[in-house]
Amino acid sequence: MRFMVIIKATKDTEDGVLPSKQLLTEMGKYNEDLVKAGIMLAGEGLHPSSRGARVKFSGEKQTVIDGPFAETKELIAGFWVWKVNSLGEAIEWAKRCPNPEHNDFEIEIRQIFSPEDFGEAFTPELREQEDRLRAEIAAKQ
Amino acid sequence: MRFMILRKADQNMETGALPSEELLAAIGKYNDDMRAAGILLGGEWLLPSAAGTRIHVSRDKRTATDGPFAEVKELIAGFVLIEVDSKEEAIAWAKRCPTMDGHCEATMEVRQVFEASDFPAALAPGLTRHASAKVASDAGKIVATQTATVS
Repeated sequence: MRFMVIIKATKDTEDGVLPSKQLLTEMGKYNEDLVKAGIMLAGEGLHPSSRGARVKFSGEKQTVIDGPFAETKELIAGFWVWKVNSLGEAIEWAKRCPNPEHNDFEIEIRQIFSPEDFGEAFTPELREQEDRLRAEIAAKQ
Repeated sequence: MRFMILRKADQNMETGALPSEELLAAIGKYNDDMRAAGILLGGEWLLPSAAGTRIHVSRDKRTATDGPFAEVKELIAGFVLIEVDSKEEAIAWAKRCPTMDGHCEATMEVRQVFEASDFPAALAPGLTRHASAKVASDAGKIVATQTATVS
């Protein structure tokens, strides 16, 4: 099973406060542990929403709104993609996320669609197209 | 520059409504267009938050709470990760994301991804060891191994 493990934004991340040396070191070790366990598939940090934008679709219309966005609870600051055997396993690993500065923050764990979850609408042709896409992306890494 | 295009969740998706074959084909074409442009780095759809969990991390505790989560505006439903020359280019690609099913209220959020070079050198001399590039390269090896095993 694959999960997206999301670090939700906080006032600090939105203010562009960079992680401390200690946090970066501990996070680096944590990431290495995830790689060694064969779990880590991806992981990235995001710049504050001041460097971002939203595109709202409404019927035919599209409206672009530049960040920053005030509702911090609606924002994410980073994520991983993990491959594990269960949600329980993802939770156990997520609980080990370093927090040397004793901050308050939220991690959201969301299950990623596998092809079977789409049902019949995900035809064999579409599935093949996606497999080719993923193989090409993986080869580029 | 790398950007995430986040598909924000909506009530429809949170109830577990599945995309039609037509929409899946449109998304497949969109992904293929990004691949052909040489910009696609990855992407995923997420199951509704009912299949998820939140963990509140604080000084002393880590508390897990199962989904679903009522505030749909706080949720994302999927993402792609792309490499382009500017935020404007990322926005242009976000505008092209298919949203059909006769229900065209949707929001995409474009967010810039950190590069190792964004961190001041003095902050983390050890960062190059743990930089995104290394994580991606290790992860790429895992994915490539798994893809090879499956096919």
